[in-house]
This record gives sequence, structure tokens and C-alpha cells, in this order.
Amino acid sequence: MSTLEALAALLAKEFALDPARLVPSARLEDLEIDSLRMIEIAFAVEDAFGVKIADEPAELMARVKTLGDFAAYVDGLLAARAARSPEGAT
Amino acid sequence: MKRVAVTGIGVVSPLGNDAGAFFDALAASRSAIARLGIAGHERLACPIGAPAAFDGASRFDPAKLRMLDRVSQLALCAAAEAISDAQGLLEGADRARVGVFLGTGMGGAQAADDGYRTLYAERSDRLKPLTVLLSMANAPAAWIAMEHGLTGASLTYSTACSSSAVAIGEAARRIAHGEAEAMIAGGAEAPLNFGTLKAWEALRTLASEDPEDAGASCKPFAKNRSGLVLGEGAAIVVLEDRDRAIARGARIHAELAGYGLATDAGHITRPSVEGQANAMRLALADARLAPGDIGYVNAHGTGTAANDGVETAAIKRTFGEHAYAMPVSSTKSMHGHLLGAAGALELVAAILAMERGVVPPTAHLKLRDPECDLDYVAEGARRAGLGAVMSNSFAFGGTNAALVACAP
Repeated sequence: MSTLEALAALLAKEFALDPARLVPSARLEDLEIDSLRMIEIAFAVEDAFGVKIADEPAELMARVKTLGDFAAYVDGLLAARAARSPEGAT
Repeated sequence: MKRVAVTGIGVVSPLGNDAGAFFDALAASRSAIARLGIAGHERLACPIGAPAAFDGASRFDPAKLRMLDRVSQLALCAAAEAISDAQGLLEGADRARVGVFLGTGMGGAQAADDGYRTLYAERSDRLKPLTVLLSMANAPAAWIAMEHGLTGASLTYSTACSSSAVAIGEAARRIAHGEAEAMIAGGAEAPLNFGTLKAWEALRTLASEDPEDAGASCKPFAKNRSGLVLGEGAAIVVLEDRDRAIARGARIHAELAGYGLATDAGHITRPSVEGQANAMRLALADARLAPGDIGYVNAHGTGTAANDGVETAAIKRTFGEHAYAMPVSSTKSMHGHLLGAAGALELVAAILAMERGVVPPTAHLKLRDPECDLDYVAEGARRAGLGAVMSNSFAFGGTNAALVACAP
């Protein structure tokens, strides 16, 4: 499963978002993801992907506008983690 | 001063998740008190309580549910029923003149308990991000206001076990003084979690389990009473300017006619006859009623050694000889003690008793206590025509409240 697919599955299951709307071009604001909801989503993403999101919600939302952006952002965190511990990469 | 009508009632209780089911169970002397299966129950000295058969997951989508402690879930569902029951309440209403006054003793106690478990027991630093918003005491009122777009005054009262009686009394004043045309008022409590139950256990005020029937563990006014049993739920009423209610042709359950509030100012837990009697006397005066006008008192009746004798004496001091002529019952024997929601739930019991002409009993009262010598309706529900009723709610901290409702 790609990061985008895993992220979409998580948003559909945990946050009751319509899977049909969870396409790469979907804008987070159109998905009614505000900064408060982003705090929860970041927490859930940290658990699901085993990453640490250091950006504050407002910074994160400034950098990540679409679901595709978000998946790329998580991919970046996964790559950074793999670079830190090559043999532990999953 | 405007008169105040009760035009809507909503209940989520250990005895059923609507007002009708709740009262039917009371009239049938059915107890909701049972063994609890909560996490950590094996470490409770007496793992009993009165849980509501309520699953938030069936009422809210997962995204909404993440933002709601159980106490807010209960409150939202009771409020929805009350507003629906007050048919057409908000059609054309000036929502800036409709507010929400709620009582809760412990607010989002489940979220607080979950958070402490994460930190201290699981030794994790990953606390749920919304713990503050889940556990804050004013969350239930805030959610109700948001859900229904009510922009009038929204307040949360926390006076322990009289919280929701205070909330209803204060809300009625807002209407009486012309500051609101309707108020959503009541209380919610969800205390059946390990930390809260242990704290109550430590105070040595909880009932021991009846060896033959867990459901009979709370025995208000009985010689062998051993304490209170915690319960959970929410009860909400719609209070409305009576003239407005009549003008729109609303069905009126009752008139909220009196509210009395008095403080013991003596001891943090020990109740006083004087403080309780003062609250009842003030409620009668507010309703412009004589003691003989009251046909039924829903007692605070916790089933503790401290309360029941004092309350009996306070009723006698307030009502004189009439104390012996009117039924007094404690429905906590069946639904347990809902703490901050108790006053609202028991006012609802009293109003429905009047509406249906049925006095609910005090269950499990078999061994008489000479100190408690009133008519507690121990033999089961009875039919009675009631023109006015009183509900008592007293509290640790000494905030005593009494509410009087009259037939419309």
C-alpha cells in the first residue's frame, strides 16, 4: 500500500471522511480539516507510520495544502527515518 | 416576573435512553444497579454502579466522537430529545435569547482518567491531543449550544450533587427576569471510570454490594442502608417563557414554579437540617405555595447514613404535620446517584410523576429506620393526583437546592 493509500485509509476510518473524496488533489480545507483537526490527524499519523511530526499544525498546514502534499510530506519523514537507521527501515 | 414552563424533556439514564422508558422503569421498581465491567474493576472494593446502556459510536460519527467525552455524548443526546420534545421550539426563535445552563460535578472525567492512565500507568508521553477539550467541565454546554446554534448565555454550574438543580433554577431565573425566552437546562455526568470510582471508594461513602441482589445495593432510608451507588447519564429540560409557550401552542409538561438555594456553611460533607430546610422553604416561598400544596417530594435520598436521617428531619421541619401525609421517595434506589446530573434527572422523575399521576417508589426499603419515619412509598409505585411536586438536591460543599414544579 502506498503512503497515499494508507493515509487515505486512515482518514476514512478514523475521521469519517468519504473515501471517494480522498484523491491526491483534494484540498485539506475542502475536507474540512482545520488546525484543530490537524492536531488529531498528526497524532494519528505519528502512530500509524511511526514518524514524528515536528511542525506545529499551522506550519504543517502552510506547507501541506492537498492530500498529495501530505502523503509526500509523510514520505519525506519516512525517508529521513530510514536514513537515520538504515538497517531498521521498514 | 415571567412564569416558566417546562416544554421539553430529554433523558439518557441507567434506566433507559428516553424520558418515557426512564419513568416506566421507575414505576416498575426496576433497578439498573449492577456489577461493572470497566477496566480495573477487579481492584474496586465493590465494583457496582448504574451504567447507561448507551453506545456513543451508534449516535456519532467517528470524527465527532473523537471530540466528545462520554459526558458530552450523554448531554447532546438528552438535549436533542428535549428540544425535539418541545416541538417547534426553535422555529423562528431569536437564538440569541436561548441559552444553555448545565450542571456537572466532574465534567469529562473519562478523558481525564484515560489521560492519567496513559501518563502514569502506561508511562507514555503520548497524551491524546484533545484531552483538554474533552475533559473541560463546560464542554457539554458548549456542544449543545453549537449543535443547535444557541447564542444566548451558556453557563456550567459545578456544585457537586446539586449542580443540575442549580443550573435549572438559575436558568428559570433568566426567563423569569425576561433575559431569555427559552433555556436548555439540566445536567450530565459520566463518573464510571476507575479513577473516579476509587476516589469515591476512598471517601467510604459508597454502598456495599447486596449479597443476594446487586440491584438492591442502594437502600435509601432503610436501617441497613450502606451508602450511595454511582450512576451515569444526562437529563435536560427545555424551560420556556410560559406566555411564549402558550402563544405557539406548545404542550406544557409543568410549570417550574419555585427554586430555593441555601448553603450549610458548616462542614464540607456533613449535611445540616437547617441548610436543607432553608432550601425547601425558599423554594415553597418562590412558588407562593404552602407546605400542604406539595403532593410528592423526590428526595435527595442518597442512601448514606449521613443524608437520609438529616433530610427526613429537614422535611419535617419544612412541612410540619404535612410531612407525614405526603409521599417522599428516593429514586436513587434504582438509577443510582448521578452526581451533577442527579438534580435534573430527579426533577424529571417528579414532573413525570405529576404528569402521569404515578408516584415512583423507594426500592429496597424493607428494614425500617426509626429515624426515617415518613411515607417513602416502599411498597411500590402508587397512583396519585399531584398538583405540585418538589425535588431536593443537596451536595458536598453544602449547596442545597430545591425545585418546585406545578401542574400546568
